[in-house]
Amino acid sequence: MATQPRDQKKQDQQPGDVSTTGHQWDNDEGYPLQEYNNPLPKWWLYTFYATIVYAIVYWVLYPAWPLANGFTKGLLASSMYQELAQEEAAAKATRQPLEKQLADLSLEEIARNNNMLQFAMSSGKAVFGDNCAPCHGTGGVGAQAKGFPILVDDDWLYGGTLAAIQESITNGRNGQMPAHLQTAGGNLSVEQVNDLTQFVLSLSQRANDSVSAQRGRLLFSGEASCHSCHGDHGKGSLLDTVGGQPLDHGIGAPNLTDKIWLHGGDVETIRTSIAKGRSGQMPAWGGPGGRLSPLDIKAVTLYVHTLGGGQKK
Amino acid sequence: MNHATIEKNISIMSLLTLVMVSIGGLVEIVPLFFIDSTIETVQGMRPYTPLELKGRDVYIREGCYNCHSQMIRPFRDEKERYGHYSLAAESMYDHPFQWGSKRTGPDLARVGGKYSSLWHREHMRNPRAVVPESVMPSYSWLEKNVLDYNDISARLSAMKKIGVPYTTEMITHAKADLEAQAIPGQNTTALISRYGKKVPVDDFDAKPEQITELDALTAYLQMLGTLVDFSSYQARSR
Ligand code: HEC
Ligand code: HEC
Ligand code: HEC
Repeated sequence: MATQPRDQKKQDQQPGDVSTTGHQWDNDEGYPLQEYNNPLPKWWLYTFYATIVYAIVYWVLYPAWPLANGFTKGLLASSMYQELAQEEAAAKATRQPLEKQLADLSLEEIARNNNMLQFAMSSGKAVFGDNCAPCHGTGGVGAQAKGFPILVDDDWLYGGTLAAIQESITNGRNGQMPAHLQTAGGNLSVEQVNDLTQFVLSLSQRANDSVSAQRGRLLFSGEASCHSCHGDHGKGSLLDTVGGQPLDHGIGAPNLTDKIWLHGGDVETIRTSIAKGRSGQMPAWGGPGGRLSPLDIKAVTLYVHTLGGGQKK
Repeated sequence: MNHATIEKNISIMSLLTLVMVSIGGLVEIVPLFFIDSTIETVQGMRPYTPLELKGRDVYIREGCYNCHSQMIRPFRDEKERYGHYSLAAESMYDHPFQWGSKRTGPDLARVGGKYSSLWHREHMRNPRAVVPESVMPSYSWLEKNVLDYNDISARLSAMKKIGVPYTTEMITHAKADLEAQAIPGQNTTALISRYGKKVPVDDFDAKPEQITELDALTAYLQMLGTLVDFSSYQARSR
């Protein structure tokens, strides 16, 4: 049977077919405006009743009402916290064999074991994406903002060995370059900062005022004692020495002789670095209450080491 | 009783409406008197410091909640990404809550301490400078707007009226506490004696000469999720 379109049906309704609310307006030429008192559609009404029943069943089965002493737990005693604990236990069970190896083996051993390395890399990649990429860039390629080191190259502040990387991640790093200009709390004049800037330019063989740079050279290892952190040759705390003695690798003073810059290698930025100082902050991720578990840290250490700049020794 | 009878008799209609509204009201209001019983007992929760409270105001004013939730749900994936699921106790001093369910950006319930304040400054200036794929708008004016905190004591007393346990001492010293937290080199002993050791003290926006809205917002973000001492928290089996 062909059904009539809805609107058609409505139009076919005659006055008197459905009761009205009794209100009447505008009795124009015998056609009053009336308000039909249509009953609610059945499907709607029963759905409404069903939701009421559903709510009551829900209260009985699930946690619902706060009480003086806790809350109604429901017959099913459902708890998302318990479900979470179960899910975590199940996940732990499947990962257990590999995780145990990850925990037991040393970083070097894992790096040599293809299977384990792959496992560590895949979880390390996830950890890196969630926690490290906002500063170091996706895959460690660095950010447009300055001061966050690139991790894919072999230029390191604190070291590219597995142990050094693990240390950087676990306990964080805070490289402090003091302010040197008098007005910023240092003890150098504007001219002296200029001279040092010229000298730093000369370290990476760039155009500089050689007379000024020569004065800067004397300051660098003299009055300003930049060498106590950046080393006698400005190669940074990792590679350089002071009077033949190696520097503390925890200083994190960058190599000023290469073309890789943490904050920037143009004249103005170098001047600002020297005048106002810099403070690099790498948050700590390990330790008690740390964001990452020792296993996560191991995995992400291997991931970073494998990015391209990892060093054997 | 017939529907039509009720509808056509104003006295019955009013009476029954009153009954229905009362039931609805009781069902919604009475549980609130017992709501405390659903909040976990934890170590470490404290009212927000004046600077954090101001930062929270900036957070609400800028509508950060339109893209960020502040509630880590008890699911495994959320826990692995963000950390321990949020507890009711952690938002007990929030008026209004910032739980939210819209996540264009990540959940922020535990963002405190995850990044450096310098990163937050770069990120607020231009999110794309640190996260190239980001769709978060830039809020570069926050570091230029000087924070207006003349009303800070009044803000604290208002919060006290709705149940946040600010002491009289906290309210009278609100202005000094705010400055101690934001200006480097200030004496923070009093601030710490009132709000505890975990208060993040920093020059949040790297502009020591003035207190900006970015200082306040960053102080708030750096505190988020760091208050509860989870080493002493035992999940209730429930
Ligand atoms: C708040 C931004 C930030 C986050 C997040 C961050 N880092 Fe860093 N990281 C830095 C900064 C800044 C430095 C340089 C520290 C300095 O200048 O003293 C650094 C340094 C490092 C170093 C040492 C680099 C070198 O040249 O010696 C490693 C390795 C490292 N980070 C790995 C990570 C890993 C892995 C993560 C994630 C678990 C991470 N970082 C998260 C900012 C960050
Ligand atoms: C206390 C140790 C220390 C001293 C002294 C020191 N520096 Fe630094 N310098 C650092 C550290 C650490 C960094 C890296 C800052 C960071 O992590 O953001 C740095 C960064 C720099 C930079 C920026 C490099 C880049 O890649 O952008 C320049 C330029 C610089 N120093 C020059 C100097 C000069 C010139 C002097 C002497 C006036 C000096 N430093 C004295 C530790 C020091
Ligand atoms: C249009 C949506 C949107 C708005 C509005 C927004 N954000 Fe975001 N936010 C994002 C997105 C997307 C990300 C992830 C990419 C990134 O880090 O920039 C993000 C990331 C963040 C992060 C880093 C979180 C993490 O764990 O990596 C912080 C902190 C943050 N936002 C704070 C804020 C604050 C504070 C405001 C208000 C002033 C705000 N956001 C407003 C979309 C938004």
